[in-house]
Amino acid sequence: MTQDTNGALRETVHAIHRYIGENLYFSRPDLEIRGKKFNAALLLSLLTGLRQGKALIIGEPGLGKTTSAEYICSLLYGLPLGTVWASEVSGHPEQTEEKIIGRPDLGRLNQGEEVVVWSHFVLLPAKIVDEINRLPETKQSMILDGVDRGNWEYLNDAVINSEYCLFATANYQDGGTHTIIAPLIDRFDVMVESKHPGPNLAFHIGMGGSNGTGLRNEAMETELHRVLNQRIPYKDRMDQVEELSNRFGEAVERELGVRTLSRPDRETIRSGMNEIPLDVDTNAFLRLVLAELSFCSHYGQRRFHEGCAEGCHFTSYLCNTVRNCISNRFPSSTRALSQALAWFMGDKQVGLEHVKAILPFTLAHRIQWKEETLARREKESRRDPLPIYMAREAVREMHRRYIEQADRLKSALAIACRISDGEPLEPVEGDHPIYWEIRRDLGEEVLDS
Amino acid sequence: MKNPFWDFRSVPAQRREIPLDRIVRAREETLDRIVQGYLQLVEEEVRDLVWLAEESKVERAYNAAVRSVGGLEYDADDIDEFCALLDSSSKIPYLISGPAGIYISALVNRAEDDRIVLCPKDYERSFHFLGYKLPEGKTLVLQGDVGDFTGAGLFGGCLLVEGSVGNWCGAGMMKGEIRVAGDAGQNTGEWMRGGEIHVDGTIQGVGTKFYGNTGYRVLFGGKIYQKGKLLVSRALVKGADQVSKGQP
Amino acid sequence: MRKDRDALLREVWARVREDHLFPELPPPEWTDEGERVALEIKDKKISLSRPFVERMSEHMPEDEVVEGLLDHAISHHLSCPWDFRTHMKLYAEAKQTLKEPGLAQLATGYFMDVVADTYAMRRKESPLPRLYRYFERDEVDEAIHALYQRIWGVDLGIERHERIARRLSRIPYLDRRRWTASIRRFSKLLHALLVKEEEQEGANDENPMGNHDLQQYSAQEVESGLKDLARDAASPTEFKEIVEDFEEEILEATDPREEGMGLGSGRSFDADVLYYMKLAENYSLPVRTMPSRNSGALYPHHHLPWEIGKPYHDIDPWTSFGKIMPGITQTWKRREGELRGEEEETPDCLIMIDSSGSMPNPKRHLSYAVLGAACAAEAYLRRDARVAVYNFSDAHVGGRRSLPYTDRRVDIYRTLCHYFGGGTRLQIEDIEALQAGGAPDIFLITDMQITNLTALIELFNARENRVTAVHIGDNDSVRTFRRSMAPRKNVSVFAVEEKQSIPAIVLGKVKEYLYS
Repeated sequence: MTQDTNGALRETVHAIHRYIGENLYFSRPDLEIRGKKFNAALLLSLLTGLRQGKALIIGEPGLGKTTSAEYICSLLYGLPLGTVWASEVSGHPEQTEEKIIGRPDLGRLNQGEEVVVWSHFVLLPAKIVDEINRLPETKQSMILDGVDRGNWEYLNDAVINSEYCLFATANYQDGGTHTIIAPLIDRFDVMVESKHPGPNLAFHIGMGGSNGTGLRNEAMETELHRVLNQRIPYKDRMDQVEELSNRFGEAVERELGVRTLSRPDRETIRSGMNEIPLDVDTNAFLRLVLAELSFCSHYGQRRFHEGCAEGCHFTSYLCNTVRNCISNRFPSSTRALSQALAWFMGDKQVGLEHVKAILPFTLAHRIQWKEETLARREKESRRDPLPIYMAREAVREMHRRYIEQADRLKSALAIACRISDGEPLEPVEGDHPIYWEIRRDLGEEVLDS
Repeated sequence: MKNPFWDFRSVPAQRREIPLDRIVRAREETLDRIVQGYLQLVEEEVRDLVWLAEESKVERAYNAAVRSVGGLEYDADDIDEFCALLDSSSKIPYLISGPAGIYISALVNRAEDDRIVLCPKDYERSFHFLGYKLPEGKTLVLQGDVGDFTGAGLFGGCLLVEGSVGNWCGAGMMKGEIRVAGDAGQNTGEWMRGGEIHVDGTIQGVGTKFYGNTGYRVLFGGKIYQKGKLLVSRALVKGADQVSKGQP
Repeated sequence: MRKDRDALLREVWARVREDHLFPELPPPEWTDEGERVALEIKDKKISLSRPFVERMSEHMPEDEVVEGLLDHAISHHLSCPWDFRTHMKLYAEAKQTLKEPGLAQLATGYFMDVVADTYAMRRKESPLPRLYRYFERDEVDEAIHALYQRIWGVDLGIERHERIARRLSRIPYLDRRRWTASIRRFSKLLHALLVKEEEQEGANDENPMGNHDLQQYSAQEVESGLKDLARDAASPTEFKEIVEDFEEEILEATDPREEGMGLGSGRSFDADVLYYMKLAENYSLPVRTMPSRNSGALYPHHHLPWEIGKPYHDIDPWTSFGKIMPGITQTWKRREGELRGEEEETPDCLIMIDSSGSMPNPKRHLSYAVLGAACAAEAYLRRDARVAVYNFSDAHVGGRRSLPYTDRRVDIYRTLCHYFGGGTRLQIEDIEALQAGGAPDIFLITDMQITNLTALIELFNARENRVTAVHIGDNDSVRTFRRSMAPRKNVSVFAVEEKQSIPAIVLGKVKEYLYS
């Protein structure tokens, strides 16, 4: 796709972002990237929606977790608000697979045929699970695959979403909540907090300053409901949904002055994002981050049930403060969201600034800190919930460590590249776990025996 | 398997350098070699687990030290830092004052610098044999107190001690000059054959003193001054009464 | 003009930030103060002196002046001192070499400048050398600039100080692991010049590149730095030696409302209290609260597909759509419910600490007793409980100090740090008085060489309080105590031999019976 097309689409996305920020989701900025201020929950949710990602939005009840996701789904995917509401899954203990995913067509079942009636949640590309942590653990497992790959199965039938994004909201832990199971939480690309906007904006919200009535369209909602309930192949249904979405988009542009995105628009944006390369520093920095969060000189890698060995040398790195090993989904979420951010900012490369802004949100829910680490820091003054604050601090620390040895690390990686290609060179040594991991990848046995 | 470092194929492997990198690298290499030489000497010298300051042993150790430092390029600063390293023993597992002093002396004697300043007052340990066989044309300044056998076998050099010396200062020296700002211990100038020793403080004893009927002090030559006054100047001194009054 | 300068600063800042890989620093700003001092860093915010830049821009382009100054300031943040703790440690080393606080502060400042500037020069083509060429310089500056000529390969127009520059140039400034040795050597080599500078300049000791005071750190950084410093110090004396030289600055750098620092009312500075307070922050002891328990009743938990041969009674007719058919029919899987009790309120805690002669004096040596007690106090305070302290030696002859229940950390620490020496005898009535009618948790820390140990054992046997008894070392009394307390499920006994044993203590650990 041409640069011009992407530039125009970027303008459209900026307009959507602006429209939501100014009319629908009032919030304070809490993220600064190159002098520009953003609200992290809004920006990250928007980028997740564009990137076909999965966002976990946490926060106190009533602070706009679900509504922000609803507006984003509506404008990015051209769906009237009523349709988005109707497809939402709300988390509660009695939730069943039949309500979330699909059920047998009872009429056909009585005739001896197994035909699945898929839920709108499964069919539509923009998905919202409200209060996901009120789903008991077993029911969380039920949506694992769907959440991961857009792959939904029921009886002997399956739907594979060609395009989808997912927003899940969660309250902080209280009596009625369950822990989100580790495999499920890891599948979320980012975790953000929908924060209180402050008394002045909250006052405006209370006075009706923000509402999404402009995104309602009852006629279109009825029509979409009809299309989604048709017993025709998934692809045909989605073609019709697409057509209706485009019509809804035209109506929104007419009435609200903001364009929604069509499916080809979203595809263009995604491929535009995919083409943005990571610069060398970002590449090396991410390797350093991964090393700190997975390294263990004694046991080969971090494992949840293993602590740190007595007298370990590497006590000043994060491996000493975390319990689990970072998953492989983490770098992929970070890449995807950083590319999305670079695209949003109109940059040609993903740089350290982009990745630094994204990392706290791709890490916060994936790191399980040691209890003593949490106990030491929980009372520190902060503006974010503890997991995001801890992740931000961790990124800040690792970034400083990177800056300190950026040249050495890049040189170590360059030499490792040449050694891998057969040149007889000595790998660069260093204290940071990444140097040990490089040497390991070059076939040296460098860990404790 | 795919080369996991492929993204860095075009990144220059050389980092930006400033002269400091070269200076520090050269210093490290030199110090490493000096330390290696010392460790080798110690290994040879302490085979019997005891090191006695016997003339033949000292001579042998010195010759070995000279051989060891022969091929090295170093300067006064390297010697100074080597002494600090010996003292802090972060890099050197064991220190034996005798061989250490002999090795330092070999370094001093073979250095290109004519004047070398070492700072024993900064060291917690004391080294013996500093200034051993210091040759003509060289000045060694020792700031602080030093151990035994300082300036032993001095060979024409000028040894300035800004502190006190232990026993056997200038023992067996051939020529040259030793100036001590503080005190000197026992057996100062024993077997001395030439040159001068000047001590501004007190001298505990000159030469070898045998208590009993005779009482010998053995000097084969040279002069010993105390507080500017000539104390001993004869080749062979017999009888304790020959030493100036008021001496310890 | 003003607007142009602002734009210039913004533009240079963007460039310099990128050169330094985007350090987390707020954008710099101009200040009209400081004819002689170009830079000021306060709480990470860099201020550039407009008059200084104007003056320097007579010699070189203004953007280069700004770039050089920013390179210098950013490098301080990125390389040296890096953080408050490193700053203090460098100072401690310099002081050990130079003995005198004023000289040590000067040496630390120069060392940090050399490291930061050299870091910048290694990182990029910085205009710093051009800037330095036009600086006014005193004797030490000249020596340092002579050093720069050697280690950066530039000409700053200095022809003197060849020898000292040569010797200084051998220090591995960019090797952080060796900074301790490096600053010692650096201080030693500069000693004579520093003495001269101090004698000559007296009050006029302004560094054109800004002084290295503690204001550059945020209050939180100072707090956490002190914590690290306490952890790394070999003894309270070592900690005291460093922080007392910076008393005023530490007080200034921290939030005046912050009482938690151990800087009690009137903002006085009790280094012993501060030491144990900060050291205790390095450990976090868990206090046991009510565990969860099973409800005993089974309830339908989740669905499973029904298979032929499985019983009918748990079939869910609703999700099975009225069908009995494998693959369609669903049964309920029942599970025992787990109830989480309401989080129990943490009781108050009575800390009994032995400060008799057999225990070390906490002001001179690290006292595990005070540290252990401090950790316990922190654990209770963190959970909004209050703490009382009973500090005893020979209580019968007045060797005791009682602090009633309070949440004032400073008072608690002051009472804990008090040292009596002398014999060890408890006054049981004192302890009874501190029970305050309730059943507080008791935390006892002692070497157990208590003359009336039997009375204490009797007391513990008679009461139901949760007791955590910690003994330092091992002896007959310890064994007697352990034996006597073995049947008591509400008493947990721990041994502390070294700092590392402290985290193993679980406060209020009660054996099974309380919750079974």
